[in-house]
Amino acid sequence: MLDNKISEIKNSFTADIKSVSSSKDIEDIRIKYFSRNGLIAQLFEKLKDASKEDKPELGKKLNLLRNDLTLQFDTVKDKIILSDTSKENIIDLTLPGNEFVIGSKHLLTQTLDEIKSIFKGLGFSVAGGPELESDYYNFESLNFPADHPARDMQDTFFISKDFLLRTHTTPVQIRLMEKQAPPVRAIMPGRVYRNEAVSARSYCMFHQVDGIYVDTDVTFAELKGTLISFAKQFYGANLKYRFRPSFFPFTEPSAEMDITCYLCHGKGCKICKNTGWLEILGCGMVDPNVFKYVNYDSEKYTGYAFGMGIERIALLKYGLTDIRIFFDNDLRFLKQF
Amino acid sequence: MKISLNWLKEYIDLSNISTDEIISHLTMSGLEVEDVVDQNKIYQKFIVGLVKETEKHPNADKLSVCKVFDGKNELQVICGAPNVQAGQKVVFAPIGTLIPNGDFEIKKAKIRGIESHGMICAEDELLLSDDHSGIMVLDEKNIVGEKISEVLNLNDVIFEIAITPNRPDALSHIGVARDLAAIFNRELKMPKIMLDEKGDNIAALASVEVEDIKNCPRYVAKVVTGVQIKESPLWLKKKLENIGLRPINNIVDITNFILHETGQPLHAFDLDRLNDKKIVVKSTKSETTFVTLDAKERKLPSNTLMICDSKKEVAIAGVMGGENSEITSSTKNILIESAYFNPSSIRKTSKSLGLSTDASYRFERGTDPNITKFAAERAAQLISELADGKVAKGMIDVYPEVILPKEIKLRFSRTSKILGYDIPSEKIKTILSRLGLALKVVDDDTLLVSVPTFRPDIEREIDLIEEIVRINGYDNIPTVTKINISLEEKSDETAFAEQLRQAATSLGFFEMINNPLQSEQQAKLSGNAIRIANPLSADMEYLRTSLLPGALITVAKNIRQGVKDLKLFEIGDVFNKNNDLEIKNFADFSEDQKMILVITGNNNLKSWNASETKSDFYHIKGYVDSFIKKISLDNVLIDSYYSSVNQIYAYHYTKSFKNLVIGIGGKVNSDVLKKFDIHQDVYCFEFDLTLIRLLEFKPKHYKEPLKYPKVVRDFAFIFDKSVRYLDVKNFIINKSSDLLKDVKVFDIFENEALGIDKKSIAFTLEFFDENRTLTEDEVEKDFSNLIMLISKEFNAKLRGN
Ligand SMILES: [Zn+2]
Repeated sequence: MLDNKISEIKNSFTADIKSVSSSKDIEDIRIKYFSRNGLIAQLFEKLKDASKEDKPELGKKLNLLRNDLTLQFDTVKDKIILSDTSKENIIDLTLPGNEFVIGSKHLLTQTLDEIKSIFKGLGFSVAGGPELESDYYNFESLNFPADHPARDMQDTFFISKDFLLRTHTTPVQIRLMEKQAPPVRAIMPGRVYRNEAVSARSYCMFHQVDGIYVDTDVTFAELKGTLISFAKQFYGANLKYRFRPSFFPFTEPSAEMDITCYLCHGKGCKICKNTGWLEILGCGMVDPNVFKYVNYDSEKYTGYAFGMGIERIALLKYGLTDIRIFFDNDLRFLKQF
Repeated sequence: MKISLNWLKEYIDLSNISTDEIISHLTMSGLEVEDVVDQNKIYQKFIVGLVKETEKHPNADKLSVCKVFDGKNELQVICGAPNVQAGQKVVFAPIGTLIPNGDFEIKKAKIRGIESHGMICAEDELLLSDDHSGIMVLDEKNIVGEKISEVLNLNDVIFEIAITPNRPDALSHIGVARDLAAIFNRELKMPKIMLDEKGDNIAALASVEVEDIKNCPRYVAKVVTGVQIKESPLWLKKKLENIGLRPINNIVDITNFILHETGQPLHAFDLDRLNDKKIVVKSTKSETTFVTLDAKERKLPSNTLMICDSKKEVAIAGVMGGENSEITSSTKNILIESAYFNPSSIRKTSKSLGLSTDASYRFERGTDPNITKFAAERAAQLISELADGKVAKGMIDVYPEVILPKEIKLRFSRTSKILGYDIPSEKIKTILSRLGLALKVVDDDTLLVSVPTFRPDIEREIDLIEEIVRINGYDNIPTVTKINISLEEKSDETAFAEQLRQAATSLGFFEMINNPLQSEQQAKLSGNAIRIANPLSADMEYLRTSLLPGALITVAKNIRQGVKDLKLFEIGDVFNKNNDLEIKNFADFSEDQKMILVITGNNNLKSWNASETKSDFYHIKGYVDSFIKKISLDNVLIDSYYSSVNQIYAYHYTKSFKNLVIGIGGKVNSDVLKKFDIHQDVYCFEFDLTLIRLLEFKPKHYKEPLKYPKVVRDFAFIFDKSVRYLDVKNFIINKSSDLLKDVKVFDIFENEALGIDKKSIAFTLEFFDENRTLTEDEVEKDFSNLIMLISKEFNAKLRGN
């Protein structure tokens, strides 16, 4: 009796599976044969009534049937679902995904981050100071005598007789040394102001990083080595550079560091005024007069200091030509970095 | 400053040293050569041409068609100069010549239909002067085809050198030659004075009185009589022209020549125009006006150092002479002034007049008081030679306190300690001697160095060390490959701002950097703005008091560019006056670090499967809260809400710690937006980072995730519209047991079915206990109690019942 039922189901399944054309048909077959009350389950139910001696044989047959039909069903189901064209199952994988905007730090901040991380690796702390400064910190204590032509080097915005917008981040060196005894090793990033007409090459404010290291055995040779290490980390190991004498009231001896022009690679062009070199920073040994202002013994301690403009460095690094682009805050610019 | 290589060679033998070597050594020892004009290269192709015939251009009135003979061929050349004539010898630029002014190359060209095979040049095209009135006509004696560089003696190399303010000694040819002498270890040759004083005794001809000795420590005068004012000889004109100066007459040219030779500015007075033939040096007692020799009337403040005669002012000391005593074509007798003025006095005068001259530039940097005599004598000698004058016997030299060379000790050991390497002591001695310093050996380690007065910048041992290392060459500093890093505590004051930037960018915000210099209207929007005494322009006259105006400028700019959906932030300092007094110390103002978040337009990207949502108040509030959570300040700040319009906001709220407002934000009111030309809603929030930094941040601690299940229950009530969410929420928290851990709103709506002035608010309540599983009963008890209490307190109706 059960045997008959088995072949009956087999036949009807074979017919049903052949006529399958949609996932709806598949679902119908699943319900008809494989659900909790489906035909196969009903047969297993009937197994209870079979005689003890028939049971093992019939059980085996039923299992065979189930495995066989399941295999056929799964094969057809996979095919149907893959090729199903009925509307409710269309998925166009080619449509764009839902994008989210990740913001970004300003290119100048990113450039500063890079500079900071290099100097942190060289043992420097990071310090800050006010932008609205006193004449004392910005000039006097940095060995710019009143009425000295050295003051012409930095066009200044004055707030009052004794206060001004700092023209460099160097005053933070004094503030730092006032606060602590040597050793002092820190960089000082910040915003500075110059009373210069706005153009592609200059803006009334920009950013600098100053650095200072004071201890018992700090030398000019170490200054050179440290800055070469910085420049190679920042611009690449194959960098060509030179140091040449310069003048800053707060360092003696003083130097400027040049690197090979990125545009002409040293042959000479408009950007580098035909010299093949681009100046990237100023530096030198801390002038003993500066130590006097912070009560450091200049016989015992020596120190070096350096300073660089972040805009200039970013312009060089990213091949930009107009400094104003940094302060336009055009999203089409900001988004690129 | 322009320096001529040929001129330099009069003071130092530079044979066997290439021009390139000279340039690079000057730059590498501190006299930066910024530009080089090599005349040999520039004028290489220009030749003498002969104009054989000219005729009018058939198609252009002002042009001529010329036949020019270049020594080999006759060429057709179009010329536009009015003075071109047959028979002239001219400067001819054949095809392929690069014209130095404008950097263009001469090519075969058709001008108005007629071919031209070259160009006849004017002086300005050759960079010889700015004369463009006509072509340059050469002496007939010149041979056709010869190189112009030969004919006009254009074989010099001109350096443009940037002299740093500490090097007044290098502002002359002798000064630069002295550095070269040290660099190449060669001898500096000073010119010799050969003076034949045939005139009367100077005491009979003139007198000098210096009243202000402090500002004029030395005044030397020489007199030359019977001079003839005329054009200078070619060699002198050439020298001046090559360094960009226009020759005027023999006397003026001589004073200019000596200034550029020695660095000592001279002034020549017409002796007969000085009352009582007397010079008095004194400072003005009150404001005066004075007409300088450029015919300009200038206002002089009191206390300006002046050169006077017995009755009137005749020159602004160290800056410029007066019209009333200048040399004219009829001048016969001359008084030459060669003085040393106090640098800061001259600088003050030059600044207050806004007038910088070759003389004031040098005096304010510091000239050499002890070269004045040499310069005066050299001038007298040249005047007698070039202007046929008779030099008066002797000189007037008012020099009551002689300025002596400084003596400075130099230790070789200190040199090594500063530099980090040893320079041999013999090398050090050579360098210093070549720079003109006198040396005395004190002991094995010490030199006593006598520094002549032409080096006012060398005052201390460290200044000598700089001289040594700069001449020895920075390239010779060994490159260290190791440094010591001390293990003292390191800190980073920018770390907090950095953390905030990270949080803001992760929320999708872009960082802007705005100009803190603003217009009065912008800066005074929200504070007591500080004015800049010397602003660049009215729109940059004040310092910002808030980051909002800058942000709005940026928003407006981007909208104009078509970018209307913006999420921006900035971290920066703002400035406020603390009182209405002039700023005299740090207590008179405050500088605070702020951070602003600003949003406008759509808050999300429009997409095929999601419509856009407009940024609104709840977005900015949400960003602020996410932000606060990121920096661990959630649960310690209190919000206060203000729904009425103020001068910045349509409505706003603040975040405070105890009574300290650490942030404020909301919807910017439309009046403000209009001022910035913005026509869409803008929401912002500004944090005071200076205050936030003062708060104590609790260190983060790990909290174990909940081990027992949460029980979540929802209910919704119909309230009067005036009921505020926060009041209900706080009521729920107050009235429930400790088991209630969180209350959230998940739906709000209004419709007609609810009734007029009604709204539905649905809440999710979360109950749990960290130490056990809750029973249904205890949650149910709390929950049903709350329903009863809310209904009563707010006259609300539970929905779904
Ligand atoms: Zn270049």
